Amino acid sequence: MQRIATTVRLNRSVLQFDDAANARLEQYLAESTSLLEGDPDPQEILADLEQAVADQCTRRLRPEQTVVTLAELAPALEEIGSVQAPGNGPVSPATPREATPREATPRSLQQVSQGAVISGVCLGLARYFRLDVTLLRVISALLLLGTGGAMVLVYLGLMLLMPYAPLEPGGAPIRWLPGKSRVFMEFLRVKLGVDRPGKIVA
Amino acid sequence: MTAESKLAPIRKGLLEFLVLKIVGVKSVYVPDILRQLAGTEFSTQEGTLYPLLSKLRREDLVQYEWKESDAGPPRKYYRLTDTGRAQLAALDEYWNLINRTIANFGH
Repeated sequence: MQRIATTVRLNRSVLQFDDAANARLEQYLAESTSLLEGDPDPQEILADLEQAVADQCTRRLRPEQTVVTLAELAPALEEIGSVQAPGNGPVSPATPREATPREATPRSLQQVSQGAVISGVCLGLARYFRLDVTLLRVISALLLLGTGGAMVLVYLGLMLLMPYAPLEPGGAPIRWLPGKSRVFMEFLRVKLGVDRPGKIVA
Repeated sequence: MTAESKLAPIRKGLLEFLVLKIVGVKSVYVPDILRQLAGTEFSTQEGTLYPLLSKLRREDLVQYEWKESDAGPPRKYYRLTDTGRAQLAALDEYWNLINRTIANFGH
């Protein structure tokens, strides 16, 4: 058997990754890129992170081993941790992750990626209507079962129509799926021209 | 709100101060900084440290230089700039002041 590996350049190092590890690496870097949205210097930080991944994986390789697998990459990424924006300006109080009505923010119906499970529709609705997000998720799940899956269409429709709330520095981290769906829906929205013109999210 | 959720933002704010202190002693690379913070309340990860160092560099508080290493590619060694040293001194002084103020209350 021959294992096919991908050669990856990580900043100043070049390593071989198997398919699973390569996919996980791409996911981590995409996630980091989206978390660095708004940072003035994302390239530098990404280069540093790439080097950190390369160093950590190299350290974990057994003497004869040449290809990085998930067995090395997963603990390496665990040790590096996901990207956290540095605390800027006044320290905002750590709000509970979900369903915190924010008095100061204007009430607009938006999807909230930070702390979301799928795309942030429920979290957005919960903020807008000042409801408990868990309750809303339970109701959605029940409707999903009760309507034989028709809720999926409703959810997809809302995903497309509800704009995404701008990311808050120091907010809850974005999970993998909401991160992906945010990127994809933003892309789709531009393609379909759903975006309200003139609305720039900082 | 639990005590922990009030302490987390304080730690987050102080991390920057601590990193300046560590970098101020001698020029270090990131694994050195992580090792010094490990086991303290400020134990952190590269995912947190790199964005922070990038911000400090933009604010001209730290700068880095590449140094060859025996194993692997060259490493970035960070050190304080003059501005960084001045800001660290100011932070240190303010921190002592706050501590004295806090200690003086509640007796």
